[in-house]
Amino acid sequence: MMLDWSTPYILNMEMAIRAMELLFALSAGIQTLEYLRMQPAMQKDGMWIWSIQRQDIPSPWMRQLLDTLFTPKLFSILLSARLLALISLVTHGSNLLSIGFLFASNIAILIRWRGAFNGGSDFMTLVVLTGLFMAQIVSYFSDPELGWRAGFWYITLQSISSYFLSGSVKLLRPEWRNGSAMTIFLNSAIHGPLSAGHWLRKPWLAALGAWAFILWECAAPLALLDARLALIFCKIAALFHFLVFWYFGLNRFFWAWLATFPAIVWCAGQI
Amino acid sequence: MTIYWVIAYFLVLALTLIYKTPVVRGPWLFLLRSFFPNWKFFHAVGYVPHLYARSATTQANGELVWIEWAHLYPRTQQNLWQIFHNTETNLGLAQQNLIDHFWADLNDLPEGSDPRNLVSFKMVAHFVDGVLKDRYPEHTHKQFELRMLLDSTTETVHTHVMMTSPVEPR
Repeated sequence: MMLDWSTPYILNMEMAIRAMELLFALSAGIQTLEYLRMQPAMQKDGMWIWSIQRQDIPSPWMRQLLDTLFTPKLFSILLSARLLALISLVTHGSNLLSIGFLFASNIAILIRWRGAFNGGSDFMTLVVLTGLFMAQIVSYFSDPELGWRAGFWYITLQSISSYFLSGSVKLLRPEWRNGSAMTIFLNSAIHGPLSAGHWLRKPWLAALGAWAFILWECAAPLALLDARLALIFCKIAALFHFLVFWYFGLNRFFWAWLATFPAIVWCAGQI
Repeated sequence: MTIYWVIAYFLVLALTLIYKTPVVRGPWLFLLRSFFPNWKFFHAVGYVPHLYARSATTQANGELVWIEWAHLYPRTQQNLWQIFHNTETNLGLAQQNLIDHFWADLNDLPEGSDPRNLVSFKMVAHFVDGVLKDRYPEHTHKQFELRMLLDSTTETVHTHVMMTSPVEPR
């Protein structure tokens, strides 16, 4: 498809809202179904038993409250209720009640996993949920357009910052600049080590790949200059996250970041 | 006007890469750290904590016979379907995250403190119990070790032991 650069391109707000609701529902739905399947790891001989983890909770009354919430039965009900809220997000769109519940239950789930289950994907999931929650609260008490604008900008700035910071810190490291870091991380990844003849074992190819990602990540803020640029940026980002999934097993990263793309494209059309 | 705010934001962000701010800690901050995202993924190469465990069986004369140390590091196979459902890999990643936190907790522990009081120690010990029970149902004693491994692009170039747990009965 050829992009038309001669006329201004602005993503319609309703379309951006709907795209984000659908992508977020898919992302959070995948996570919730995985949590449901992980329950054996949270009981008996599993690593994540609550009887030990509860010692992390500093206040006794909160510990008691969470003891009740995190019984296997109630926790399953909580996850099932999340699935229902996500289905309602797909069929009826977002509202204060469903987003408020998803936000609160997300915090509970994060506490159950000692603050984060998977690191970055938890952060980004919470960013999108916070943006959605912000939009709902402002819409309820004031102007919906203002609410969505605030939500979209919050999500966009966090998402673009994630690329920009991730690329910038790599740019400052010699082991990334010479490509060796990429090979070392891939070897220690959950699907590693790389096979003996893998192309990323060739130093010059690893360096080329590392520089391509570093420069692209550092240039992320430029995507905000035009919605068409943002579209191209998001397509490359989707490929990048797919590669991260393929080599590092991080499927949640793929979906969590994908859910931010409608906000990025919308915001790029507003500058 | 918006563009100036966006430019100012990214300039401030770039400055945060140069100027370090003090790290604020606390139990609730740890549990709610997802509200303060850290986007510095895979940034530095260096020593990485790895968990090793071994078990022993007690002979008739009371002597303990130990098996070789087992490296408890998660590895799974790639599969395209996993982009939609990836329970085993995600649990493996969470396991390694916990080992990273355990290492960080040990690092922050004041001199002379007993690491057995750490929640992360207890979780790791419980995990080792489960793995050894599954692999060696007859074992009577267990022990685990946190080793720091420094990798090059081709091999592990240096290893040192950060902590060895006491030998404990099953």
